[in-house]
Amino acid sequence: MREQSPEAVWNLPELLARVDDDQELARELLAIFKEDFPLHFRLLQEAIGARDLKNVVALSHALKGMFANLAGARAAAAAARLEQVARAGESGSLEEALEILRGEVAKLLPELDAYLEGVQR
Amino acid sequence: MKILIAEDETLSRRLLEKTLERSGYEVISVENGRQAFEHLSRPDGPRLALLDWVMPELDGPQVCGEIRKRTEQPYVYMVLLSSKGSKQDTVAGLESGADDYLTKPFNAEELRARLRVGERILHLEDRLVEAREHMRFRATHDPLTALLNRGSIMELLGRELGRSYREQASTVILLGDLDKFKSVNDTFGHVVGDRVLLEIANRLLASVRSYDFVGRYGGEEFLVVLNNCDPATAPARAEQIRMAIMSRPVHTTVGPLSITISLGLLLSSEWGPKSVEEILHETDKALYQAKAAGRNCVRIARPESPGQFPARLAPHRAHRL
Repeated sequence: MREQSPEAVWNLPELLARVDDDQELARELLAIFKEDFPLHFRLLQEAIGARDLKNVVALSHALKGMFANLAGARAAAAAARLEQVARAGESGSLEEALEILRGEVAKLLPELDAYLEGVQR
Repeated sequence: MKILIAEDETLSRRLLEKTLERSGYEVISVENGRQAFEHLSRPDGPRLALLDWVMPELDGPQVCGEIRKRTEQPYVYMVLLSSKGSKQDTVAGLESGADDYLTKPFNAEELRARLRVGERILHLEDRLVEAREHMRFRATHDPLTALLNRGSIMELLGRELGRSYREQASTVILLGDLDKFKSVNDTFGHVVGDRVLLEIANRLLASVRSYDFVGRYGGEEFLVVLNNCDPATAPARAEQIRMAIMSRPVHTTVGPLSITISLGLLLSSEWGPKSVEEILHETDKALYQAKAAGRNCVRIARPESPGQFPARLAPHRAHRL
């Protein structure tokens, strides 16, 4: 059964606190994320497909860090779960963990986009 | 203050850069552990470092381990950053040589506070090193003239004699004694006498090369060690030193005083392997001869036959004036 985190998909106040309320920096970090994430995610999918557990650990670990820095706690938790599964060598659970992550990212991205559009207006 | 950030993940690195630049740090950021080690190993490299645990090439704990292997360079305060968070990880991180450990995502205030701790420790280390260097200088130098003291110059002489024998080079030893210096002290007092000693020390230092050694051997006696000195030029070097003392008077509170020096000279290459004490004894005999010859001159110590140490000792140099 999939666990649901009670936390918000994205905690904007937490991110702003982390950047000392510097909206420009927050926007810059989000832009970096939007640029880096697609490649990371594609490589992660490929690593899972190839059952390359070492790379799955490294890539999910990096994603976990990105989400955590952006205050995307639920996506960070999903990436952490994937990292844990790969570390434990549970190859059979990789796809399921990836799907959970994909679902969390699907919820997070629109919020980030909405914020970016909002600050740009 | 310079700080190194080693983080392969762009977003996290940018966040750290900005946070630390705002706090007034001069930030150097790199993307892997190898680059971090290179920066931290530079003589003017940063002494504060934030190292991500998981990095390409060398990871954070490996960088800490490599840096801690160095013993001569200044201390580097290293904080490991990671999203790892178990007690076991914390212990492993600190055991690798890290000073502190911070879990990502970091809180900016906590990060700054922890770095201030690092700065305090580095400041304390600087003060300790400074105090140790001061003590070392005091233990090896003469307090009046700041020349090497007797113990230090003798130790260096021993080292140079060994080296020149091994390398078949020549070390020149000059033992100088200010002429009739006792009368300066007796007539004008010790303050004036000290002024003369200080000026002579400066002239001796100015007369030799930067890699030669000058020490205060006794009250008004000075020992000069000229490394890798061509034996053919040694007498001329000694004359230059004698002239540097005699050429102009020493200005004191009681007026200008004319000071001269007598010198004994010994070429290590003429004597073969000898102890420091034997070499100094022979040089002292030459100095005694310079005094006996009317002072303000140089006399050279010659072995009775090259490489042979004479059995008979010279008259005691306490009779010198």
